[in-house]
Amino acid sequence: MAKMWTAPRVLAVAAVAALSVATVTPAKAADPVTITIWTFGDVIQRNFVQEYKLLHPEITLEIKKSDLDPLNGTNMVTACTAHNGPDIAAVEVSYSGYWRSYPSCFQDLRQMKTSSANANASSVVPASSNIAANLSATSIKKDYLPWRWAQGVGYNDSVIGLPTDVGGLEVAYRTDLFKKAGLPTDRAKVGKLWPTWDKFIAVGKQYLGKLSAKDKKAGKGFIDNSGTIYAAMLNQGTSKYYLNDGTDTGKLIYDKNPAVKKAWDTTVTALQAGIGTRIGQFSSDWNTGMSNGTFATILAPAWMMDYIKAQAPDTKGKWDIADMPGGGGNQGGTQLTIPAAAKHKQEAWDFMAWYLAPAQQLRMFKTYGLFPSTPSLYTDPSLVGFKDPFFNNAPVGKIYASGIVKLKPIFEGKLERAIDTAFGAGLSRVAAKKMTSAKSWAQVMADLKKVVSN
Amino acid sequence: MSAQTPTSPWRSKAPKPKKVKGVTGIASLNGKWGYLFTAPFFVMFLIFGLAPIVYSTYIAFFHWDPLGDQTFNGLENFTNLLQDDHFWNALRNTLNIWALSTFPQMAMSIGLAAVLRNKKLKFKTFWRTILLVPNITSVIAVAIVFGQLFGRDFGLINLFLSYLGMPHHIDFIEETIPGHIAIATMITWRWVGYNALIFLASMLAIPEDLYESASLDGASAWQQFIYVTLPQLKNTITFVLIVGTIGGLQVFAEPLTLGGTMDGGSTRQFSTLTLYLYEQAFINNKWGYAAAVGILITFIVLIVSGINFMITRRLASEEQ
Amino acid sequence: MSQTVANRVIGRRKVPRWQKVSPFGYFALALISFISVFPFYWMFVVASNTTAEISKSPPSLIPGPRFFIVVEHVLQVVPFGLALWNTLLVGTVVAVAQVFFSALAGFAFAKLHFKGRKFLILFVIGTMMLPSQLGIIPLFMMISQWGLFDTLYALIVPALVTAFGVFWMRQIIDAQIPNELLEAASIDGGSVLRIYWSIVLPVIRQSSFVLGLFSFLGIWNDFLWPGLVLSSPEHFTAQIAVQQLKASYVIDYALNMGGAFMATSPLLILFIFVGRRLVSGVMDGAVKG
Repeated sequence: MAKMWTAPRVLAVAAVAALSVATVTPAKAADPVTITIWTFGDVIQRNFVQEYKLLHPEITLEIKKSDLDPLNGTNMVTACTAHNGPDIAAVEVSYSGYWRSYPSCFQDLRQMKTSSANANASSVVPASSNIAANLSATSIKKDYLPWRWAQGVGYNDSVIGLPTDVGGLEVAYRTDLFKKAGLPTDRAKVGKLWPTWDKFIAVGKQYLGKLSAKDKKAGKGFIDNSGTIYAAMLNQGTSKYYLNDGTDTGKLIYDKNPAVKKAWDTTVTALQAGIGTRIGQFSSDWNTGMSNGTFATILAPAWMMDYIKAQAPDTKGKWDIADMPGGGGNQGGTQLTIPAAAKHKQEAWDFMAWYLAPAQQLRMFKTYGLFPSTPSLYTDPSLVGFKDPFFNNAPVGKIYASGIVKLKPIFEGKLERAIDTAFGAGLSRVAAKKMTSAKSWAQVMADLKKVVSN
Repeated sequence: MSAQTPTSPWRSKAPKPKKVKGVTGIASLNGKWGYLFTAPFFVMFLIFGLAPIVYSTYIAFFHWDPLGDQTFNGLENFTNLLQDDHFWNALRNTLNIWALSTFPQMAMSIGLAAVLRNKKLKFKTFWRTILLVPNITSVIAVAIVFGQLFGRDFGLINLFLSYLGMPHHIDFIEETIPGHIAIATMITWRWVGYNALIFLASMLAIPEDLYESASLDGASAWQQFIYVTLPQLKNTITFVLIVGTIGGLQVFAEPLTLGGTMDGGSTRQFSTLTLYLYEQAFINNKWGYAAAVGILITFIVLIVSGINFMITRRLASEEQ
Repeated sequence: MSQTVANRVIGRRKVPRWQKVSPFGYFALALISFISVFPFYWMFVVASNTTAEISKSPPSLIPGPRFFIVVEHVLQVVPFGLALWNTLLVGTVVAVAQVFFSALAGFAFAKLHFKGRKFLILFVIGTMMLPSQLGIIPLFMMISQWGLFDTLYALIVPALVTAFGVFWMRQIIDAQIPNELLEAASIDGGSVLRIYWSIVLPVIRQSSFVLGLFSFLGIWNDFLWPGLVLSSPEHFTAQIAVQQLKASYVIDYALNMGGAFMATSPLLILFIFVGRRLVSGVMDGAVKG
């Protein structure tokens, strides 16, 4: 049925492709190919999909989006057991440890070689960069941040994924609301308000004190969701739930790592101080709140800037970006992989090598705020000098770049996602006042014993 | 309802007639044809219904990683499971939701049936048909609507409650008891009309003269309902209860779609037995453990059915 | 009884057996009916309004102008027409197969005399008690091993027969076809196959239709199993397509409800035509007394 449905289109495309190929690169055959991609969120940007269509009319990128857990936790497992799967699958960093332990589910990217398909890409899409032929993962490794690269290396040292963006984390804040609360609005001064997380919470309390009774009743707060502090703090350290002891698996330390407890305790303090609203991120209330000024700050990964622009266009110019308490942070980040059962590995590799090349990543940052994982760009004047009018002309490139370089690589182990989910649930229990912090912590420890056993 | 394909976990709609009478078959027809007629069914049923169940029992004695190793671990899955507070939590939630949905539903269905059976009721077919509408629709579609209706900040139900003087908005997703009520509401919404039709059918079968004599004795409509209708419905009530219990012990679609996650939320408030099985199987990828959960669910269903069966027997014998 | 007779004899005014339905009865019916259909109306309201209209207090309760915009949006995100077609295809095949196999076996269990019959039917009924999710993992393994993963066969093949269908058909045939009729036919020299074809099948047509409808609805509304074994959008069923709409960062109520409405309205339209038969099907199957 699928064939019936797409056949006319494919034929038309193929016809066009045949014509254009005949004139541009006569040597290349143009069999219509559909590359299937499993992804989530905005990992694959539509504009770039359209560009790729211009480059390769014979190739259709078929994108299937899912929620993270069904995709990385369920669908990819079932697909791998069934020796099935898409041509490209996005693996989020919290699942990177899990999939690194099953490298046989993926094509080893060291064995892939780019074709000449994108060798002249810039002649068709001028903004695009050319990708030389015969590039394997080994030959492009040098372009990427080493710790991001390591998140896509399997236990058997095969390369299973290429890094997409880095989710550098800073504080997005509303200058108008800060002004109303008698806080400074200048980004340098705002950053100095909160050198530490404790200070951040103190500023939050101060902000709450200035809210009218009516605003308080309407559920307004300082930060959208205090729970986000946990992940932000944890990602500023050198280790989370696993200790990098040189082995593939790492060593579980979630119960002993003081950084985990500290992030927990600080988050609980923030929750109990009531500086956050009750709104969950990525809910419709969150979008509404963003427009209505229900909260004054968001801990915003670089990729969230585009989200804010799209959801609250009326707030243009009211936002600004300041440093995170305690220096830079990180949230999210994804690898693109080619599952072992992919049917169009060559075409998939050609696309990935092009899509994640530095030049494309730079444009993605400028358009969508996705921060590049290719360090050569961090000193590139067009990135460092990039200012965003939506965020009050903040030099977002410079701010996020300086945060990223402060980051220390963190080892992500096999059960990262499950452990994270358990801690998240624990904090939700505290937030909903269903358990005391100590009791909820004990529950998390008990739950995790089950998660890590067998 | 218990009537489900072992393969596609949907609730079958059709009711199950109760008694299996001792049908003897027709002597003049060649009985050998019976093997031929039942063979296609049994072949497929063995492959797709029974073999998986048997194999499941085998898996339950393994640590079974779908992508990695499978190692025999004896009874470990079962001993772990008995100490697994998440499992017991799931059982508690399941029973809670079952109780919250079954009893109000039963009362409402019988009440509706009593109105529907009145011969002077206008637009009879219309009412009967419209009551069945919720039953044909998908849980997914309905959960999207109910999720919005039960929304904490902008949900119609909270808006309505605040008109009634509720001081603050209830979080029907995060809080346990309101969450269970929301799920029970969805289940009740889906099944109340359906069960009303079952009760209606059974009421229509009650001999008219019972009512006639009662009314001539001066019994009011209410008294007739209590002393004539209800006793006659005893079997149907038991039947609906049994079928509802078997279905209720396997509930997962409503909590999954309303809560949105297989783990049942931050305090696992929506986690039910079946959902816990799916969580172990397809989120945690512990197939052996999940199989063990399935076996324990089966035991629970069988025990509860057994209890039901005994109660029915006792009721039936009292009647005679 | 004698009392009743006495009353009659005395000639006391006979109390009319059926009193008029009280206004409260109509109110209860109307309320439940309203609650039964309101979610569908609300789907349409949300799908045709902006999120802002729905989020304000009180929200808009009447349909807005955006429904077709949302439909277009839904069609951009998932191949919805294809999903409906897939569901229709799978549902029809499964319904026909279930009716066919169930009627055959049900007839044998109701009317044919063969050794082991009693044990077999009890066995079939016994398995109906087993929770359906018990075998889901091995079933998944079978489907993947046979290369049926991500094909529509993965939905069809395991659903071709059900214990329930056989049981239902057995009850129906037992109740609706008198033994005398079959005996007479067999004495006239009719073969079993012929009797089945020309006597049994015509009688159970109506019940077969109802069983088929239930099977069809089951396939239409299932989402867990299809979600496990289907992965390409071109194989999605309607429910999976609806689920797919939720999988973006932001919860777009209009989009979700638009999808839900699109996945539900074919059933509602179908229901307009077959609703009465379904009602009688449900009531026929119910226990009498």
